[in-house]
Amino acid sequence: MSKITLGNESIVGSLTPSNKKSYKVTNRIQEGKKPLYAVVFNFLDARFFDVFVTAGGNRITLYNCLGDGAISALQSYADEDKEESFYTVSWACGVNGNPYVAAGGVKGIIRVIDVNSETIHKSLVGHGDSVNEIRTQPLKPQLVITASKDESVRLWNVETGICILIFAGAGGHRYEVLSVDFHPSDIYRFASCGMDTTIKIWSMKEFWTYVEKSFTWTDDPSKFPTKFVQFPVFTASIHTNYVDCNRWFGDFILSKSVDNEILLWEPQLKENSPGEGASDVLLRYPVPMCDIWFIKFSCDLHLSSVAIGNQEGKVYVWDLKSCPPVLITKLSHNQSKSVIRQTAMSVDGSTILACCEDGTIWRWDVITK
Amino acid sequence: MVTDDSNSSGRIKSHVDDDDDGEEEEDRLEGLENRLSELKRKIQGERVRSIKEKFEANRKKVDAHVSPFSSAASSRATAEDNGNSNMLSSRMRMPLCKLNGFSHGVGDRDYVPTKDVISASVKLPIAERIPPYTTWIFLDRNQRMAEDQSVVGRRQIYYEQHGGETLICSDSEEEPEPEEEKREFSEGEDSIIWLIGQEYGMGEEVQDALCQLLSVDASDILERYNELKLKDKQNTEEFSNSGFKLGISLEKGLGAALDSFDNLFCRRCLVFDCRLHGCSQPLISASEKQPYWSDYEGDRKPCSKHCYLQLKAVREVPETCSNFASKAEEKASEEECSKAVSSDVPHAAASGVSLQVEKTDIGIKNVDSSSGVEQEHGIRGKREVPILKDSNDLPNLSNKKQKTAASDTKMSFVNSVPSLDQALDSTKGDQGGTTDNKVNRDSEADAKEVGEPIPDNSVHDGGSSICQPHHGSGNGAIIIAEMSETSRPSTEWNPIEKDLYLKGVEIFGRNSCLIARNLLSGLKTCLDVSNYMRENEVSVFRRSSTPNLLLDDGRTDPGNDNDEVPPRTRLFRRKGKTRKLKYSTKSAGHPSVWKRIAGGKNQSCKQYTPCGCLSMCGKDCPCLTNETCCEKYCGCSKSCKNRFRGCHCAKSQCRSRQCPCFAAGRECDPDVCRNCWVSCGDGSLGEAPRRGEGQCGNMRLLLRQQQRILLGKSDVAGWGAFLKNSVSKNEYLGEYTGELISHHEADKRGKIYDRANSSFLFDLNDQYVLDAQRKGDKLKFANHSAKPNCYAKVMFVAGDHRVGIFANERIEASEELFYDYRYGPDQAPVWARKPEGSKKDDSAITHRRARKHQSH
Repeated sequence: MSKITLGNESIVGSLTPSNKKSYKVTNRIQEGKKPLYAVVFNFLDARFFDVFVTAGGNRITLYNCLGDGAISALQSYADEDKEESFYTVSWACGVNGNPYVAAGGVKGIIRVIDVNSETIHKSLVGHGDSVNEIRTQPLKPQLVITASKDESVRLWNVETGICILIFAGAGGHRYEVLSVDFHPSDIYRFASCGMDTTIKIWSMKEFWTYVEKSFTWTDDPSKFPTKFVQFPVFTASIHTNYVDCNRWFGDFILSKSVDNEILLWEPQLKENSPGEGASDVLLRYPVPMCDIWFIKFSCDLHLSSVAIGNQEGKVYVWDLKSCPPVLITKLSHNQSKSVIRQTAMSVDGSTILACCEDGTIWRWDVITK
Repeated sequence: MVTDDSNSSGRIKSHVDDDDDGEEEEDRLEGLENRLSELKRKIQGERVRSIKEKFEANRKKVDAHVSPFSSAASSRATAEDNGNSNMLSSRMRMPLCKLNGFSHGVGDRDYVPTKDVISASVKLPIAERIPPYTTWIFLDRNQRMAEDQSVVGRRQIYYEQHGGETLICSDSEEEPEPEEEKREFSEGEDSIIWLIGQEYGMGEEVQDALCQLLSVDASDILERYNELKLKDKQNTEEFSNSGFKLGISLEKGLGAALDSFDNLFCRRCLVFDCRLHGCSQPLISASEKQPYWSDYEGDRKPCSKHCYLQLKAVREVPETCSNFASKAEEKASEEECSKAVSSDVPHAAASGVSLQVEKTDIGIKNVDSSSGVEQEHGIRGKREVPILKDSNDLPNLSNKKQKTAASDTKMSFVNSVPSLDQALDSTKGDQGGTTDNKVNRDSEADAKEVGEPIPDNSVHDGGSSICQPHHGSGNGAIIIAEMSETSRPSTEWNPIEKDLYLKGVEIFGRNSCLIARNLLSGLKTCLDVSNYMRENEVSVFRRSSTPNLLLDDGRTDPGNDNDEVPPRTRLFRRKGKTRKLKYSTKSAGHPSVWKRIAGGKNQSCKQYTPCGCLSMCGKDCPCLTNETCCEKYCGCSKSCKNRFRGCHCAKSQCRSRQCPCFAAGRECDPDVCRNCWVSCGDGSLGEAPRRGEGQCGNMRLLLRQQQRILLGKSDVAGWGAFLKNSVSKNEYLGEYTGELISHHEADKRGKIYDRANSSFLFDLNDQYVLDAQRKGDKLKFANHSAKPNCYAKVMFVAGDHRVGIFANERIEASEELFYDYRYGPDQAPVWARKPEGSKKDDSAITHRRARKHQSH
């Protein structure tokens, strides 16, 4: 939020595409009329790297990306409650490596589906309002964190269905939480952001025994001694409006508000005095026509590039390996005009999916020269 | 960024050209301008370089982070299927349907056919949702809002659910102008200001040029430059005396150490870091002291082997007995002392004088023993002087007291000798010395008995405190004489030890055993304390005596020279912006957000703040001007006319308006009311005296005698509060807790809550509103009803207003609780006017996301 001063400037990327890579539309499918809010490739199991899942309306659908742009529909789930509207979906795993899909939406109930048996594994009830994002801990994929309108972030064990920790209270968010993300190497740490314009970094290190306890809990999940974590280790105010997406990039954070840009910034924590610290905005990735909220970006597994759609149906792909920032390419098609809520990049970045408000999914494949 | 560099320097140039005629000046500034842009470029270049370095370093981390993900994914792929069904893999072989793509891609203008996915869905059975709520933290007592939780002055962005757009709601016209924040300078700016300042000085032109470059006010730049100069100076100084700082040590006085105690400890709630009354409360000490807790010295058992009661035993040990001269003198002094006690008043004063002479003698005699001892005696000599002075200046009144004390001593002397004799005989051989000592000891003990301060009688109090030192000083002489035999260098007193000792005297009176054990454990032995006590009688008693009988000897002993509230250094000020509100906390008409008006009365209660008046409260007493009663937390005397005196109810159990406490909307206070007692614990600590009949029934909030409340789905709307066990009418159910916020804050929050159709605000008094939105207890979920089975009542409990929920009628177990929110006729929002209206309107939560459209 602070004014940019001499010596603290950030480097702004140029919107001239380098065309280092180019992509072409290889498919477009219409999945009903309801807006699609989430699409994500599997990143937990190498067998299913081409499988992706979408969420929108009361439906969760699994697809497989085949060669030549073909897409096959694998599974489809519909909530019997027509009022449900899923906003987010993520992959997870059971303790035996079983692939799960966890989705949440307006009802605030997290649906954990065992996709190997095509049955509902757990319905996690507890959030007081809608769930805006679910993210999985990649090294312990039984753990998911959820961001909710009820101003809390919760940590769950999807295997046992336990709500382990609630991150809210005195130092918590003051309005809807819109996005969360686990730190890539520090298993205790995650970041959250939301409508109160802040980004908070939390640690569950002191509560890790509860996380371990959740794996062996055999009693009723409601009897688990869920703990409140009231104070984050750091609160950053680098945006002035809703922050609707944040992702770790090493020890830096990529985040976006409704200001037509993604920021890359460094949280400078004072480790021995929690709560204090500074933030240094290093790079800015402009994204034109992207000033409405609930537009989320995505990266490939290797974090070599980031893709984000805008409200005109265009996708901007930025290189994350170069400084100053380089725009790899801008994906546009004259029939793609609807707001792109979420993109998904395949593990190697060769396929980009865009799910839109009009219920369409666009597939873009890299052109191999 | 870098590109606009040339523009700004161009501007500066023209500006300079217009203003300056002198050629030289212009030349100099020509250089300045180039130098400025050069520096700017340099700083920006460095910044770019540093960003690149950071980025590269972080990029390496990213790559390191990523590899475990890939390997984990591969290992999961090769993990054996445990014979479970593997639908996902089989579906990949046999999909529901296949949608062919365009292997060669489509051009921008080409038509892309839409393919509908055939839906053969697995149904997810309905999971029942729970009523919406905002995550809240349980509070068992109210908390004052932390400063960083304020919404005042912050831009509020709402998402308009029906319009589908975000609105920025800041009512600027009534918003107090936020205090202008001090401009923070970045490192780059600092270095440019510093370098330019060093090279060109801080002339007006230079300032102007810098203003242009940094877009800051000239005054700010000058100020910053001076700050930097100061810093630079400090840096060089610090460099020269680096490593000379000590942490907390015994050398610091207790004042410094107690600062955190004074700042963080709440004397009303007896907890550190009180969330209700906050840190850095003004320190108010009662003008009347509690009587010391002490027992008769004669009955006391030695507390340790270093107890002063063991003194005689120590003296008899041959090795320590070396100085015959001092012993002889000691005996002489004892004789004189006993004479003083048993004889008449003028002699008492005289004895003081003679003792003084002896002490200085000893001081001289011991010069050759060791340097440490020498020094000590030097100090002692100084300290004794006031005693002498005091004894001469004694006011008549205290002389009279002295007389009674002395005569009492004589009487009790006879009675108590035999028992003491027995006790001492067993350990002592030297008969002469012991007898003398006995007399002395005895007299002192009895003097103490007489001097035992009696509450509500300040004359007695003062008299005793004066009479004691005299006996004490008599004793002191003996001890000092003995000290010369046993003196060790460890008896040097650090400032903090001295302060702790003084606190000890305040707490325990002149009981060296308790002081040593509780406050100076490991630092000083009881003997040390006892010795020190005798050396410092006057300074101690000066401190504890009442102001009107103060022995004014004009001495100032730093750190313990007054009873008044010390000026407080606020070390523990909260971090973060302190926003000064230019807004009166007196509420100016309640806006529509007021959902709950307390107590049914229209005038709200006044917030109580303890006054610091000494003795009686006058016209200036803040309590009087604020129209509140003085309470037990006030500094004023118990007989203050403005004090609330509690009740004398004997039988009514204080449950009706006949009880003055009840009638005033207050709970009874066992400290104040005559017959309202509290039994505590299992009785192992001793029962409080039971007065009156039966337990007082008007202390239920204080004692937390509440009912078990259950949270469940309301039969009416949203969540509801239910009662576990049945209760009868007027039974106390529980407290409605929450965050204490100002009325101004409540205005702001109310606007937000009204948008969400959910409000947990509760009017508490003229200063505060309770907000249970994020912090509270289950009772916040009790719904509104026009025919309620409960009522809410603001009670004044031990200086604080609290909200109790009481049964309006008999309520059966597991019934839902309702109470009347007392909406004013124009205060209730539309949704609340529905019959049995709820504060939460579920229908408002619609397909919000569907309207998350562009706003244009």
